[in-house]
Amino acid sequence: MIPDIGYIALVLAFGVSIYAAFSAWYGNRSGQIRWVESGRNATVIVLPLVALSAGMLILSILRNDYSVEYVWRVSSRDMPTYLKVTALWGGQAGSLLFWNFLMASFAAMVMARKWRKNLNLMPYVIIVISMTQVFFLGISAFIENPFVRLAMIPLDGNGLNPLLRHPGMIIHPPMLYLGFTGFVIPYAFAMAALISGQLDDRWIRNTRRWTLVAWLFLSLGLILGGRWAYDVLGWGGYWAWDPVENASLMPWLAGTAFLHSVMIQEKRDMFKMWNIFLVVMTYCLVILGTFVVRSGVISSVHSFAQSAIGPFFFAFIVIMFAFSAYWMTKRREALSSKNQLSSFLSREAAFLYNNFIILAILAVVFLFTYYPIFSELVTGEKGFVGAPVYEQALAPLFAALLLLMGVAPLTMWYRTSIQRLQKATVWPALAALVITVALVVLGMRYWAAMLGVWIVTFSLLLTLMEFWKGIHARMKRGEPAWTALANLMARNRRRYGGYWIHLGVLVMAFGIIGTELYQQQTQMHIMSGQSITLGDYEMVFNGARRYAGPDDLMVTEADVDVFLNGRLVATLAPQSELYTRTGQPMTIPDARSTITEDFYVILVNWEPTSANEATFRIYLNPLINWVWAGGLIFVFGTLVASWPDRKQEEVLEARRERVALGVVGD
Amino acid sequence: MANTSWTNSGGTIALDQPKSNRWKFVVAGLLLVGAIVYLVVNAMSGSTQLYKTVDEFYSEQSRLIGRDLRVSGYVLGDTVEYTVIDSANSRLEFDIADNPEAPGQRLHIVVLNEPKPDLLQDHAQALVEGSADNAGVFMANPGGLFLKCPTRYEEMTPTQ
Repeated sequence: MIPDIGYIALVLAFGVSIYAAFSAWYGNRSGQIRWVESGRNATVIVLPLVALSAGMLILSILRNDYSVEYVWRVSSRDMPTYLKVTALWGGQAGSLLFWNFLMASFAAMVMARKWRKNLNLMPYVIIVISMTQVFFLGISAFIENPFVRLAMIPLDGNGLNPLLRHPGMIIHPPMLYLGFTGFVIPYAFAMAALISGQLDDRWIRNTRRWTLVAWLFLSLGLILGGRWAYDVLGWGGYWAWDPVENASLMPWLAGTAFLHSVMIQEKRDMFKMWNIFLVVMTYCLVILGTFVVRSGVISSVHSFAQSAIGPFFFAFIVIMFAFSAYWMTKRREALSSKNQLSSFLSREAAFLYNNFIILAILAVVFLFTYYPIFSELVTGEKGFVGAPVYEQALAPLFAALLLLMGVAPLTMWYRTSIQRLQKATVWPALAALVITVALVVLGMRYWAAMLGVWIVTFSLLLTLMEFWKGIHARMKRGEPAWTALANLMARNRRRYGGYWIHLGVLVMAFGIIGTELYQQQTQMHIMSGQSITLGDYEMVFNGARRYAGPDDLMVTEADVDVFLNGRLVATLAPQSELYTRTGQPMTIPDARSTITEDFYVILVNWEPTSANEATFRIYLNPLINWVWAGGLIFVFGTLVASWPDRKQEEVLEARRERVALGVVGD
Repeated sequence: MANTSWTNSGGTIALDQPKSNRWKFVVAGLLLVGAIVYLVVNAMSGSTQLYKTVDEFYSEQSRLIGRDLRVSGYVLGDTVEYTVIDSANSRLEFDIADNPEAPGQRLHIVVLNEPKPDLLQDHAQALVEGSADNAGVFMANPGGLFLKCPTRYEEMTPTQ
């Protein structure tokens, strides 16, 4: 009964989406606003229907209703309730339903919030969003139906792989999905602007915060995925340039380019076509990424169920791309800009360089990710590109991007004199040089590290100076320093939010340089009382014990003392767990974590024969915590930048009207 | 963006430049594209691997010996062996095959001085980077053993 209600709601949602698209189209064509309004209402109603459907699936999981194949596949009786609820996105069919729920939520919210201001864009927004929903709901209802029944009812379900019982892994997929589905909003508005011919920057301003929110979730998904890999997988790393990771990195890159280049359009009325192109590309990469992740076309260390949805997704991508390309070609005249870049040294040129580098990174990642397909087409043999190739090709591009991150905010619109740039950069450049030389004296050797540290320090100083300039100006007017900082950020959220994001990226960059170039590792088999030395650390093995954990868990725990330069700094307890019923082992690393480095210990394959010997693998990961700290700063910056600010929106609105009247160009 | 205009205090509003500027951008752009192509080609030269399944490997074994490969296959659980040789050396061995239910050709994988991964289980899908010697032993590169990260719950239904 419950699964039936869920399925009926799902099919209804599918039908309502078709109706929404049709009535918006018909209302717009015949000029009858009530039809368009009916389309809006239908779009909103999809949400409770999909929510009901998802709710029924969760209820089936909670009730251990193993007559539903999906419930049997993803849950078991002994799973705690929170894991049962999150099992909604634990497999292909459920995660697609969850995806539909998130997309319906975005669609309903945008209908509620943006209706009155954009009446003439809305019919097209409804059509684009509803057609996308028709596709995804259709997949859910007819191809990957989560409510399919089993002929025989099993007594218990399959349960959850213990490796995935990590908070990072439970939150990571919804974050990515929120990021992915969120991009439907800017895409729908961009297409609406194209089709309706209203190509001013209104679609951009209306979707800016939605884009930022989608981008934020995508960023969170990427960071949490890395953190989970570092905590759980026990290889001492957090990013492997695996195709599935790249599939979510690529839309993130395209979205990043878009968030930067919209500023040129808002300010100088240029790059209109380019911005539409970037949004279309971001969304196509979202769908392509979903396709790759779910179809198994590219071999990846992430295994995903092979399923029948591949061809449908592929057709959807082709149709979406052709549809977008058709309207872009049709509107190319209206999208051409009257303004031109006036100087190589200007804010708009700096944004152009930014876009160029980000897209170059994107192109390289794209080429390498899909290299197995390309090489098979060309040579008949499947090739593969490993992580070192990515790193070698991308390091110079990332270095250029980091350098630009510091220098670009110093430029001015239209033209910046070279003298002004020199004046503003010479002291930070020298200061960064002094710091780099100091680190070389302290023992830094690789030239890549020297160059990297110089660039990141230089850009970091420039970014901090931007803060200081604003604070200083306010302090002159009598504000205390902290009040000045708070006011500065409150008044210019987008700008200073952006700078915080830059700071976060630069802090992460220090961490990446440290872990990439200076990671040390060793693996040794030792007796109790013996020790392993790595870097300035010495680790003494005191012995190990075994005890039963909850459920069917058997825990083996080693006791080790960590000495830094002869001084005891930590006692660690790396564990090796075994889920006896399934035979699934799970390694729980332990680490002494400081701001400078992680001493990260893994207990390897401890055999029960003796409590006196064990094999350890140890990683020394310098600056790894800078990666996570940078991630937090990054998220904070995105929140600052996307926080609603009514006053500023009014200012922008007024400014836009003045520009439209030709009063100011700035 | 309204607030960036505050930095524009010394800026002059330039008249749009004649076409010559566009040429400069085109030439600069082409140079940059050239530089990126060089980066990519340089990074890829000699560093890409061939991707093979076990059966594909055996069908062209003689040609592939000694080449840097990435092979994929399913782990045959009863062949997994982990040996501690001495304090600093260990040896992990197992066979992989294209179809774990009816293993035909098996490739013997040897991994030196690495921990045994949690995911190395019967029927797990392995990706191994390394090269094969004349005796048909496939030696993994350091850090070259990858096991498919299970999608949530996938582990329990290994026969897809």
